[in-house]
Amino acid sequence: MTLYLIGIAPFAHADFWLGVGIVAGIYSIFTLGLQLNVGFTGIVNLGQAGFMAIGAYAMAILIVTYGWSPWLALPVATLIAMLAGVIVAMPAVRLRGDYLAIATIAAAEIVQSTAQNAISLTGGNNGLLGFDAAWQTIQVWLLGALSTIGLGDMDQIPLFAVTWITFAVLLAILVTLQHTPWGRVLRAIREDEDAAEALGKNAYAYKVQSLALAAGIGAIAGYLLAINITLIYPGTYSADFTFIGFAILVLGGLGSYSGVALGSVLLWFVLEGARFLDLPLSADKVAALRLLIVGLVLILVMALRPQGILGKREEMVLRG
Amino acid sequence: MADGIAARHEQGHEDLIFAVRDLVKGFGGLMAVDGATFEVSRGSITALIGPNGAGKTTLFNLATGFIKPDRGAVEFEGQSVFGRPPHAVARRGIGRTFQITKALAAMTVLDNMMLAAPDQPAERLLGLLIHPLSWRRQERSIRERSMELLERFRLAPLANSYAGTLSGGQRKLLEFARLLMAKPRMVLLDEPLAGVNPVLGQQILAHVHELRSEQGITFLFIEHDMEVVMNNADRVIVMAFGRVIASGLPSEVRNDQRVIDAYLGAHAEDVA
Repeated sequence: MTLYLIGIAPFAHADFWLGVGIVAGIYSIFTLGLQLNVGFTGIVNLGQAGFMAIGAYAMAILIVTYGWSPWLALPVATLIAMLAGVIVAMPAVRLRGDYLAIATIAAAEIVQSTAQNAISLTGGNNGLLGFDAAWQTIQVWLLGALSTIGLGDMDQIPLFAVTWITFAVLLAILVTLQHTPWGRVLRAIREDEDAAEALGKNAYAYKVQSLALAAGIGAIAGYLLAINITLIYPGTYSADFTFIGFAILVLGGLGSYSGVALGSVLLWFVLEGARFLDLPLSADKVAALRLLIVGLVLILVMALRPQGILGKREEMVLRG
Repeated sequence: MADGIAARHEQGHEDLIFAVRDLVKGFGGLMAVDGATFEVSRGSITALIGPNGAGKTTLFNLATGFIKPDRGAVEFEGQSVFGRPPHAVARRGIGRTFQITKALAAMTVLDNMMLAAPDQPAERLLGLLIHPLSWRRQERSIRERSMELLERFRLAPLANSYAGTLSGGQRKLLEFARLLMAKPRMVLLDEPLAGVNPVLGQQILAHVHELRSEQGITFLFIEHDMEVVMNNADRVIVMAFGRVIASGLPSEVRNDQRVIDAYLGAHAEDVA
């Protein structure tokens, strides 16, 4: 079998790569929430896609069905997702390890099948449309501004910019929080919940907070994803999203918020860059091969740098 | 049981800090703690002894909320802590260590210490919002207090090392120093000398005596070494089969036939 790599002239595909950048940014935001849970609290949240779906659906339903202004709908939908986080967390974080993971994945599946079957509310598998009128207005205005510097035809730039600015803001908030006494308690719970409890820290309350915040972050990723594909339907928010988030976590490194962005960009660059491999294979085989390549990259990173790109090796070893 | 009541009368004038009454906990068919009753007076150093499987560690876990008791009573400073979660018991003023030391491995020694401070409002998200700047001042004073304690326990040079890199003995010291950050009035030590070299063991015991005389902290500790118990404890509580079979001065307990039987495994039926 021969492999041909066709030339990738960087700017010939600028719009394509901007699109990839948007997706990588949305996954970065999504995975920030996972990092808070898994990397800094020690709780395995496999239901993050469910919280993302709750946020996105709540936003769309409030705007489309109830005619709310998006500026009101966005914060309210975020609060709804966080409330869902609290509701799932309250029974789930009493469980440890694998059981907690199973409970969160079950919660996400409930969200998924509700989205498919509560047709009058969610539109079922047809999904919801028309929630992004305000964004269209903003985008037109931004593209107008861009055209003055000759970039008016790059219509992916506005969402790309908004996505990565959102990521930067969330990153700053999370890194700041991590360096507060609150963040210290979270890390202690990650290390040893019983020790934290013996020192008077209510581990349960912190785990609920961690999950609620992650749910809110997931909701924000959900809005951007919805805007990006201009449609909300159940398949978008499947568990696959969470599993790719975990792959990003491994690539970027547990316990590093900035690692999340690097992991996501690497994963999406490899996954989408593999499209440019010109192979004498059918399209479905190429699609499978792309995932295979991502798998190889994951294995390679784990073998050469098990702590991930920005993870701390010492901390990983000490944690055992 | 009659002995327990007699002992209570005898202690009548002393200031009680901690009392366990008829505490019961079963795991399936096994009664790990089966009606244990005892009292601890304020400022004392009390040893909890008994053969393996007597229920000593389970009793610690019941008293500090790590295991929910089936029934009975646990009182600290006149208030019930029965069935309270561990963090609530800790906030009342009971500190504890674990048989297998729990150092927060991937955190620094200093962070281990600072974590335990009970008076940092920014530990809560709400507190963080209310005191967005002033919490840093509080952090400085917590850091100072942490360093003082680390000096005292000769761990100061390791302040910035990961706790997971410490030796077993250093971890014991860290766990001890850390629980003092929480300003407990009573401390439960689960085998503080297990796996510790004799020199370090003497250091730990010296800390116990100093902290009792300086700050009036009450100590209850589980220990197997009779030499250590006889030389350091004011009172001794003996458990076997989930019950308290004797309590009193070290010299009294040493010669108690029931205690000797429990340790030698003879006349088990008579003891129960």
